[in-house]
Amino acid sequence: MSRLEELKTRIKEALPGLECVIGWQKGYDALHNTPLFMRSDADVDKLEWGALNVHNPAVYLPTMAGKKVGVVVKGCDSRSVVELLQEKLIDRDNVVIFSTGCDGVVDLSKVKAKLVAAGVSAGNAEKVVTDGKTVAVTAGGQTVAMAMADVAADKCLRCQFPNAVLADVFVGDPAPQPTASPSGNADLDALDAMSVADRMAFWRYHMDRCIRCYACRNACPMCVCRDHCIAQSREPHWLSQDDSTTEKLMFQVVHAMHLAGRCTECGECQRACPMDIPVLALKKHLNRTIHDLFDYQAGVDVAAIPPLLQFKLEEDNIKERGW
Amino acid sequence: MAAKYISREKLPEWLKALAAERRVLVPVEEGGSVVFRAYDPAKTPVFGSDATAPPKGSIFPASQELFSFACGKEGEDVKPTLTLEAHTEAQPTVVFGSKPCGARGFLIFDRVYMGKKYPDPYYIAAREATVFVTMACDTVENTCFCHWVGSGPADAAGSDLLLTPVAGGYLVEAVSDKGAPFLDSPVLTDGSAKTAEAEAVKTKTREALGEAPDIANAPAALLERFDDMEFWRDQSDKCISCGACTYLCPTCYCFSITDEGSGLAGKRLRSWDACMHFQFTLEASGHNPRPTKAHRLKNRVGHKFSYYPTLHDGLIACCGCGRCVKSCPVSVDIREIVQNAVAKAKA
Amino acid sequence: MTDPFNPYLPEVATILETVQETHNIMTFRVRFDDEAKMAAFKFGPGQVGQLSAPGIGESTFVINSPPTRMDYLQFSVMRTGEVTSKLHNLVAGDKVGVRAPLGKPFPVEDMKGKDIVFVGGGIGMAPLRTLFLYMLDNRADFGKIRLLYGARSPLDMAFSAELPEWTSRKDIETTLTIDREADGWEHKVGLIPNVLLEMAPSAENCVAITCGPPIMIKFTLEALKKLNFPDEQILTTLEKRMKCGIGICGRCNIGTSYVCVDGPVYTYAQLKALPNEL
Repeated sequence: MSRLEELKTRIKEALPGLECVIGWQKGYDALHNTPLFMRSDADVDKLEWGALNVHNPAVYLPTMAGKKVGVVVKGCDSRSVVELLQEKLIDRDNVVIFSTGCDGVVDLSKVKAKLVAAGVSAGNAEKVVTDGKTVAVTAGGQTVAMAMADVAADKCLRCQFPNAVLADVFVGDPAPQPTASPSGNADLDALDAMSVADRMAFWRYHMDRCIRCYACRNACPMCVCRDHCIAQSREPHWLSQDDSTTEKLMFQVVHAMHLAGRCTECGECQRACPMDIPVLALKKHLNRTIHDLFDYQAGVDVAAIPPLLQFKLEEDNIKERGW
Repeated sequence: MAAKYISREKLPEWLKALAAERRVLVPVEEGGSVVFRAYDPAKTPVFGSDATAPPKGSIFPASQELFSFACGKEGEDVKPTLTLEAHTEAQPTVVFGSKPCGARGFLIFDRVYMGKKYPDPYYIAAREATVFVTMACDTVENTCFCHWVGSGPADAAGSDLLLTPVAGGYLVEAVSDKGAPFLDSPVLTDGSAKTAEAEAVKTKTREALGEAPDIANAPAALLERFDDMEFWRDQSDKCISCGACTYLCPTCYCFSITDEGSGLAGKRLRSWDACMHFQFTLEASGHNPRPTKAHRLKNRVGHKFSYYPTLHDGLIACCGCGRCVKSCPVSVDIREIVQNAVAKAKA
Repeated sequence: MTDPFNPYLPEVATILETVQETHNIMTFRVRFDDEAKMAAFKFGPGQVGQLSAPGIGESTFVINSPPTRMDYLQFSVMRTGEVTSKLHNLVAGDKVGVRAPLGKPFPVEDMKGKDIVFVGGGIGMAPLRTLFLYMLDNRADFGKIRLLYGARSPLDMAFSAELPEWTSRKDIETTLTIDREADGWEHKVGLIPNVLLEMAPSAENCVAITCGPPIMIKFTLEALKKLNFPDEQILTTLEKRMKCGIGICGRCNIGTSYVCVDGPVYTYAQLKALPNEL
């Protein structure tokens, strides 16, 4: 039995005790999978596993508080579940975690760019074949083969957790630890190399086209204020509704600050952005700072308390008495 | 009026001439997205695929000042004063290179913003000052469904000039009185030899879309599902309640009004708002008539395919551009929702 | 060339007087600064206005003074949210903006010659007050007029300065009620729907108009049905979050009906025909 079939079997077994199990199914075309809410065996039969499961289903968990739900996760998604548990935003008794080894997912923006470069319409994908090393997309009758390394999500290029850090049901053999590629941090490296003025210009250039849809916020599993976000609240009135680059950048800064040390770098903010704004870099930068200061990584230990959610009289790496 | 022709090489010359007299907005690539920006000869416009964001902001900016206010004090007894100043005038603009769906979106706006009782002076001024030079499609994507909603890849409704790609360039046709004078440009040449080829492109592109399903019953079918919250739960399960679908929609016209500024001076702004946001209908008391994403998605789909057509002679408040499908972070597909409702009604 | 009418641009008005009605309801009496516009201003009972103060923002309130008394326009504001809290800080002499009239008024012509029953609860008395006073000022046009006005306690009763007149007038029948016994209260004690059933007005040639908190409206409608009032003879006014007030901005619709232009006044029959999204 394939691991997908085994996963389906195990989900069907658990389904009677659950409100639903969240996973993925095929979407409107061959390139797009879409989140699936399984409530019946027929739903479970639609479950997909593979490189097109780009979404992080952990985002739905806080909105289903009080209900017992199952969730199928990739290694990176499991970190969001763990971080939610760490912050007591979900209840361990109310979530059943299903998983299997992950071989990485694609970045659809990279795939589409490859198709466009090959003169193929990205909007007409008919077939996608992946074997872990290559992704072959057939669109408009033409097939374009791409190396997975060239179209994988950045997070996969620096993946430390191809297997769930926490799972109730794990099927199949664990996936091997991928070798980290330096290009997984190309975004931060490029920003680090810039002068402060250039960096500001970079953000202004990109934030200018932000449409303030807040897909970045709503796709984030850790963005739990959602309906009470300062982006729209008038009390406090921190942001105006003026369509200015400054206001839009200000939101990203507030968002990133709120996620400092909580963000697991699942990359959903950036993936969800319909305008392809590279907003993940802001969070990665702050996470790096948190890592340097507190030697902490979000979402790997259910028992750990995120550093900015606790207070220590004397931090190990902040010697304020020594200043 | 006789059709004209322009070669691809001559296009920049025409754009430069147009830009000399007014704002010309063209689709350009920015960080992987295609957005409408003021024409800059140094940047090559992207006329092939449809822009990531439609030219909605040309007439309906993401935020717009309704008026400015200034408070003061006057006289010996220090009476407060309040001065309001409104500017409704608009900048002459050409939107060049939108697809037919992007221009057609404003037809849906027109019914609401140019109504008899409360014509909207800001919208009307911008609408009158804007000319749409639209590019008919010669390719389609699998998210395109303009043919479902009474439109098509060469739909001229809402446009002033229609350009159709032909070998080497474009056939240029005036499709409104407002567009006609633009055919006088000296960079355009006689196009009569290209009309047959253009017609063939239009036919071929329309054929590529295939048959549209019958959704004539959608207004009634959606209303029939109004109280079926299990249906709406199923349709909205994966929705993350963001505003990508509405802000990228050429026909979504809802807005918010807020006062911005410090106590004594500031402006009242109208800014894009999205019915998918919880706060949209949240009342001061805490009551919310659309408390869950299921309620909100129901209103979004209902508005487009039921309420609006019921109020406006059957016109569907959707231009079928497919941006809501293509740009949705979780691929919610409005076509599927409408079809599910129609199928349930038949069952 | 004169500018086209701008439905978003308020009239600048001055607060003539404020009245602290209850601990959380404040009444504002305002007059446009432009006297010509004030003189030309026309509205019908039940129509609403957007009241705003610069920097605070707008909110929708019924004009609760009657069109027969045009010394000022009166708005009563219950402190519930951000805008209303800030409006409560305003004092006489302060400037406000008014966009009015918006929405549809009560169908007063259709009510002429009929008996009338008003059932108001709490701040819900505000939209009734305009029509009630309009009828008093055109007393001969209407049959028997009864007012049932209730609040949680005597201190929650708005328009208290007017209550002695309303209760003493011989050409109307006014019943006041509070939910629970209170010291010094000389009127009825009991929930509005129950008192209404006791009053038992005849539905014959009679129109009932009700407004109040949702739970009160729900049970009042049930009581009116027990008293055999047809759906067409029951009127109420709805409250929804509104921004534009002119049928565009998209938040106050219930299906195809926009409360800001098609309402806020609806018959119970009309309400029943709308999708269930109150």
